[in-house]
Amino acid sequence: MIQNLKFHLPDDHDEKQFIRQLADQYVIKKAPAVADKIAFYDTFDWRLFQKSLVLYSSDNRLYLRKLSKNEPLESIEFSKAPVFIWDFVDSHLKTKLAPIIKMRALLKLVEVSSRTTPYRILDAAEKTVARLVYEALYLPRKGSTPALANHLWLKPVRGYPKYARQLAKSIKAAGLTVSTEKELLIKALASAGKQPGSYSAKVNIQLDPAMRSDQAAKEVLHFLLDVMRTNEAIFDKDLDTEVLHDFRVAIRRTRSALAQIKNVFPARTTNRFKKDFKYVGQLSNALRDLDVYLLSQDAYKTMLPHDLRDDIDPLFRHLHQKRTKAFQQVRRGLKTKKYAKIIKDWEAFLNQPPPDSAAVENATLPVVVLARQRIYKRYRAIVKTGNKILANTEDEMLHALRIECKKLRYLMEFFATLFPRKKINVLIGQLKKLQDNLGDFNDLCVQQDYLLDISTELPADQENIKRALVAIGSLVQTLNHNKQSVKKAFASIFTQFAAPENQQLFKELFSPKARKSNS
Amino acid sequence: MTTLAIFSNKGGVGKTAAAVNLSYLAARAGAKTLICDLDPQGSATYYFRVKPKLKSGPKGFVKGAKGVYKSVKGTDFDNLDILPADFSLRKLDILYSKFGNSKKQLKLMLYPFACEYRLIILDCPVTIGILAENILTAADYILVPMIPTTLSVRTFNQLLAFAKKKRYDAAKIYPFFSMVDRHKKMHRELMLNVLKGFRRVLPSFIPYLAQIEKMGIHRAPVPAFAPKSVASKSYQNLWDKVEHNILSSHG
Repeated sequence: MIQNLKFHLPDDHDEKQFIRQLADQYVIKKAPAVADKIAFYDTFDWRLFQKSLVLYSSDNRLYLRKLSKNEPLESIEFSKAPVFIWDFVDSHLKTKLAPIIKMRALLKLVEVSSRTTPYRILDAAEKTVARLVYEALYLPRKGSTPALANHLWLKPVRGYPKYARQLAKSIKAAGLTVSTEKELLIKALASAGKQPGSYSAKVNIQLDPAMRSDQAAKEVLHFLLDVMRTNEAIFDKDLDTEVLHDFRVAIRRTRSALAQIKNVFPARTTNRFKKDFKYVGQLSNALRDLDVYLLSQDAYKTMLPHDLRDDIDPLFRHLHQKRTKAFQQVRRGLKTKKYAKIIKDWEAFLNQPPPDSAAVENATLPVVVLARQRIYKRYRAIVKTGNKILANTEDEMLHALRIECKKLRYLMEFFATLFPRKKINVLIGQLKKLQDNLGDFNDLCVQQDYLLDISTELPADQENIKRALVAIGSLVQTLNHNKQSVKKAFASIFTQFAAPENQQLFKELFSPKARKSNS
Repeated sequence: MTTLAIFSNKGGVGKTAAAVNLSYLAARAGAKTLICDLDPQGSATYYFRVKPKLKSGPKGFVKGAKGVYKSVKGTDFDNLDILPADFSLRKLDILYSKFGNSKKQLKLMLYPFACEYRLIILDCPVTIGILAENILTAADYILVPMIPTTLSVRTFNQLLAFAKKKRYDAAKIYPFFSMVDRHKKMHRELMLNVLKGFRRVLPSFIPYLAQIEKMGIHRAPVPAFAPKSVASKSYQNLWDKVEHNILSSHG
């Protein structure tokens, strides 16, 4: 099939004259010019852009296309711009977006005004056999703004290739060239002063293996501080649950880095900020819990028997009310002097140049050496604890193992660029499977307790609340059942994680002894 | 891909009008749609201003879709292509009967279109022979326009009996009322009776309207030239029911 062709329009191009010329050879019908706005959407962390996808709206339709491609993959009619995936009508577009944007909100990135003048080329039966479309794109601003782009599109109609070929020839003969312009989204974003992909909560820190450990640690911590700040700055807007989540993960990673990248800073400093960030993290514990329960509303409902599904609604209404309060609490917490001082002092510390003579043991050690030490130690500890659990699976020990795994995961992510990418990614993948299992187990435990606690907050004298309590009871039962099956799955998942091949790979990458004997 | 046949073993019941308007509405709602004009009279093809000519001739309908594929034309509307009719399609029944796998030929022919189109609408000629069996095999759902008259209901029952006798799944046959004159008492009474007796009747109907006949003058689907008309709304309503009661509830 013939693709649409986009021609670049020089400034001195005369549309009327050009069409008049073509009219000697073709029957041309002009349609009224259409003014439209093209709005581009993505999540705050550019999830669509990361997948080379572009979501945009134009003329009451929402389209999804590949970056730098013209043909949309999917489209739907829409009246109000959807924000969350659950706002979309069931459609192929929704199915495609769901696993990518998940629970993140879609934000309007930039809006481009377009003015198109379509001309239809007709055959003897007045059937459209090709289209020519003049298109001018510009950023909607007050006053006159230079156009982002001026194009002439040649849009062939399937089954009439001759017309398209002839027209392409005529257009080229008039001196127009096929446009090689880059993606409109990127151009529009640049004009609006935005850079795609500028934010991601994923840890990606380029480190040099020979770098001093204290300096490397500061790089990691600085990255995390940036993530914290970026999300804190938009917290008030309450876009979605992930702003807080990213903020909290950055705090948790900071705390973990302070504890795990041992002896690179003076003990007093480390202890102070460990305490400070523990405090900052606690500010939003309650809010995050509520977010998690509200996000799993649908999942909870499907766990219930059909006739109980609506009965549980009073619980979620209650949680909603609690969330509104909790949100305001966090908002206030982030505006306190105490919080501001923590962040200010922390930044000042991170910006201090490293001391010449290190008073602490690991400060001047090449970071790759310290990274190996720490990662290998954590890994061995996990294998040891895990083996104990295999012999005797206690809930508390699973909980402890989950924490240990998290520490290891963070370390591996902080230092990922120091090791062969493929190998470390395999290991992170394996670790992730184990973490998922332990995480699920933990979530189920916490959820059970939480639901039982929260049920005491509901006024039990009302009829609908009584029904809600029955539904909660049924839910707790299901959660308990799920918990047991997750627990059962642990043994095989852990055995895979601690398999000899894996141990070997960990040893190869991280063990200080293995390195010595190799070299 | 879903294949929807607009089929009736009785003529002049509004098959082509339904096929043309439904395919237009489906395409407008975002589904890449192909309308196949299987009727040698080529009315759907005419409505879309396309020449009734298959490059492959009817042979493309049995040899696999290669030849047919090249005959597909874009309509004047986004997302909507047409496989035009050809006068030689009148021989399709005879052609199919010559083949071993005679009842699956149409399904095989459509198969290569599956990756490109989300919806295929078959505008069928009046038939009850091997071509009808091909349609019953190829289509996921069969929409039968039914004028609320005794004869029309009788022919519909004949179709059901035929499907049952030949062991086709009668559950995929959905009638809807077409060319309804609500001022006629008989139309109203018959509709009530059919609605009571047959639960798969789509709860929507197309009235008898001059606007629909004007499709021949405008050579376009009704919603394209008279978007606010009653006719346009009736087809939109029918399409909503097709989407909601049939397509989305069966996946």
